[in-house]
Amino acid sequence: MIAALVGEDAAADETVSLKGGRRAAERALAAIDPVAYAASRNHLDGAVTRLSPYLRHGILSLDEVRNHALASVADPRQAEKFIQELAWRDYWQRIYLAHPDCIWNDVESYKTGFDASEYETELPADVIEARTGVACIDQFIGMLYETGYLHNHARMYLAAYVVHWRRVRWQAGAVWFLEHLLDADPASNNLSWQWVASTFSKKPYIFNLDNVAKYTGHDINTRMADNRVLALSYERLGELLFPNLEPAHG
Amino acid sequence: MADLIWLHEGALRRTHPVFVAAAPGTAAIFVWDRARFVTGHVGARRQLFIAETLAELEIEIHEGDAAVLLPQLVAAHGADRLLVPTSPDPAIIGQIAAIRQAMPQGAVEQVEDTAFVTLSREPDLARFFRYWNKARKSALRPHGV
Repeated sequence: MIAALVGEDAAADETVSLKGGRRAAERALAAIDPVAYAASRNHLDGAVTRLSPYLRHGILSLDEVRNHALASVADPRQAEKFIQELAWRDYWQRIYLAHPDCIWNDVESYKTGFDASEYETELPADVIEARTGVACIDQFIGMLYETGYLHNHARMYLAAYVVHWRRVRWQAGAVWFLEHLLDADPASNNLSWQWVASTFSKKPYIFNLDNVAKYTGHDINTRMADNRVLALSYERLGELLFPNLEPAHG
Repeated sequence: MADLIWLHEGALRRTHPVFVAAAPGTAAIFVWDRARFVTGHVGARRQLFIAETLAELEIEIHEGDAAVLLPQLVAAHGADRLLVPTSPDPAIIGQIAAIRQAMPQGAVEQVEDTAFVTLSREPDLARFFRYWNKARKSALRPHGV
């Protein structure tokens, strides 16, 4: 049946790290540890839950995941960080329903010193082909293609690189993620891109190589020689990426 | 009154309240809508994920335009009411509107998912923490009550 819907080649794809279905979802839910999540979620090898594809498709409800998390801790506050992340999804969905026009249009103008018209509308080929020459960025793009999943930090790094280093409109990056992520949701995805871009936040999100090194393990190449455009202070990056803004941005 | 359930890709589970709202034993249908997958940027990997989920759900699958097929399927099943989980997706909302047009008044009913939080009024959505400050108390309680 699966092959009839998606074709035999796709049905035989063994590279997918997350399987569909309620049974896989329940296994993932049983494995969550809200306390460990709160302590390590920012790290790429942290105790993240990978529940997002199941929540996206309604295979699990936010309510049942929250209830499960609360039942696994002695005090609700121990699960607060985890439940707050569930609340982000509820928040994005409420915006989607109330303000559907916000999903593909800039909620606010860019706060980067550039007008939207100064951004490219298409993703550069080297980004699509994971050959930007920035080692960690190319690895994150490879992960996206290989697994259909990215840790939230990797998503933010890629989004910031595309929008601020390459000056590409967030919409082009949002479509790219939607096409590859198993948890692709126009509200969560696009509004997060807008948050990075600064069209739905007070300032643009940027990062540097020190930040990548802090949150990733040894499997990500964070050598300075292989990531030169990221190997700068926030002050210097602000000057280079947003030359029209007043200094002390970061 | 005989019912039929349309499960779309945002509500793929048998514990969704739409099954409680329907008469016992009501059939559920998924429409594999390739055109909506294209406009919604649903890539091959996600299509596989959805197909794997459907295989476990053991529901009827039809291929085509949901807005065109569903009125026909309701009739073919001898049903007179179509139940649909609510969705914020404008494409699905548009298809529900088209189905309503094609069916007798009141024959299409949308069913909300279980609420995550209970709020006394619509929250300010301009920034997440404005919402969270209102939602936090409820979110940290079982069933959000």
